[in-house]
Amino acid sequence: MFSIIQITIKGIFRDRIFQGIMALAVLFLLIPSAASLSMRQVTELSITLSLSIISFILLLLAIFLGATSTWKDIERRYTFSVLSLPLSRTTYLVGRFCGIALFLLITALFLGTVAMLVIKVSSAIYPPTRPLLWYAIVVTIVFDALKYILLVAVAMLLATVSTSFFLPIFGAVSAFLAGTITQQVFDYLQSPSAQKAVSATVRNAAQALYYLLPNLSSFDLKVNAIYAIPLNLSGLLWTVLYFAVYTGILLAIGAILFERREMK
Amino acid sequence: MSTLQRPLLVLLVCMIGYGVVLGPFTAYMKQKPVEEKLGYVPNVNLLRYVSADHKELVGAALLMKVLMYFGGLMDKQASNVVVEKPDFRGMSNIIHSALKLDPYNMDGYYFAQSFLVWDVKQYDIANKLLDYGMKYRTWDWYLPFFAGFNHSYFLKDYKKAAEYYKRAGELSGNELFFSLAGRYMQESGQTELAIAYLLILEKGAKNQAVKKYYQTRLTALKEVRRIEVARDNYRQTKGAAPITVEQLLQGGFLSPAPVDPYGGQFYLEPDGKVSTTSKFAFAGANTESKQKAGQSR
Repeated sequence: MFSIIQITIKGIFRDRIFQGIMALAVLFLLIPSAASLSMRQVTELSITLSLSIISFILLLLAIFLGATSTWKDIERRYTFSVLSLPLSRTTYLVGRFCGIALFLLITALFLGTVAMLVIKVSSAIYPPTRPLLWYAIVVTIVFDALKYILLVAVAMLLATVSTSFFLPIFGAVSAFLAGTITQQVFDYLQSPSAQKAVSATVRNAAQALYYLLPNLSSFDLKVNAIYAIPLNLSGLLWTVLYFAVYTGILLAIGAILFERREMK
Repeated sequence: MSTLQRPLLVLLVCMIGYGVVLGPFTAYMKQKPVEEKLGYVPNVNLLRYVSADHKELVGAALLMKVLMYFGGLMDKQASNVVVEKPDFRGMSNIIHSALKLDPYNMDGYYFAQSFLVWDVKQYDIANKLLDYGMKYRTWDWYLPFFAGFNHSYFLKDYKKAAEYYKRAGELSGNELFFSLAGRYMQESGQTELAIAYLLILEKGAKNQAVKKYYQTRLTALKEVRRIEVARDNYRQTKGAAPITVEQLLQGGFLSPAPVDPYGGQFYLEPDGKVSTTSKFAFAGANTESKQKAGQSR
């Protein structure tokens, strides 16, 4: 297992993906001057920009690494040599997942550190009206990473049954978009106006989808970080448990499908 | 080598052509009339779904778009270029959308307050927006302070104004607001109240276009205050109220002559209130100045 994780991380670094991220991180240097355009909330805007850049980079990584790693291995016939080793397909899949997850965490740590420095600079130039909640910023970045690790699991599940990378990539993008709005749709369907306007069948179908699709909006804590609103600890705990259980289910289904897959 | 000759020749010809075209092209682009446009923004319900987990970013981007548009117009006004009146309705719509995406964004409330009440006199929309903001920004004294000002200065609802000022006082711990709740509630103190209000806003404005906007308004109100003081002195000395600003100038009560930064002319209304033909707006000065100035004389 650890050798697979090691190989995955090494492979990602060999593909110069981290250098690409570092090049993108140059964008952070522009944040203080871009944020100074704000009228009343320069620090808040620099936090918004920093967190959005991190979130966007992690999204790209999750989708492309999650969707292409297994597919690439099968396409290049690496899997034959790897799977001839004394390890199960499940170990291979979980190892790959853990490697990518670890890489996402490393990236989040790196970008998070840069973001904190940028926010510190912005807040020194234009002191915010409310004191910054540093712990909320850290927790937000960690939960962002968790969200995208969950998305990696979605992409890898789709990759186990797919013969090309289209299904995992577009499937993961769709899961991401759907996952961020399920809560809004669910809240709307609970409202009295929706009770009248939407038929019971559609409501039930939407409700079923709500429980089936990943609920990614619970991982989004940006408002708390930007406007220094205290976090709800029990809510965070439930989200972490939700993450563990949901990712576990995805990986388990992925492993079952991968075990049964015919590889020629 | 011969295979490269043709593309090299084409490249050379094109490079020379580029050099020839570049000069006139740049000159043309420099003098090309630029249209300041606010543009189209999709429905907020669609934006809410499409922006995924970047709602705060999209909200900030929408506000920036409005600010850039407004800043561009202000720059042109400052350089005496005739411009159309800003599309205040469009600006208000975009700000409302942005605040639906991120109800915590202070820039939206701050900017909406500046033009909704002064320029388009939509006090109800402005106050509803402030009430909406107060539900989220529960710690912020600016919002009740704005609402208090709107209620006292524009709507003359002093009871409601006092409630908001009290709330602003409780949140900020600043005694000024408690005194505002009672002190400036008469008609005579209204200009002073507006000057105090604008001074606070002007001091906190980081954006140059917005700062300029407040400075101009502040200059105009200070001139109004000067005329008011002269008017009161005239009434005390002569026992009768003046009818025109010229009377104050001739009687030595007002010196130097007041200048309206919006380009209009000050005059006294029949009830003694100081007004200006520009209606405290750049666009108003051009259209109505001559006509109204004639009337006041």
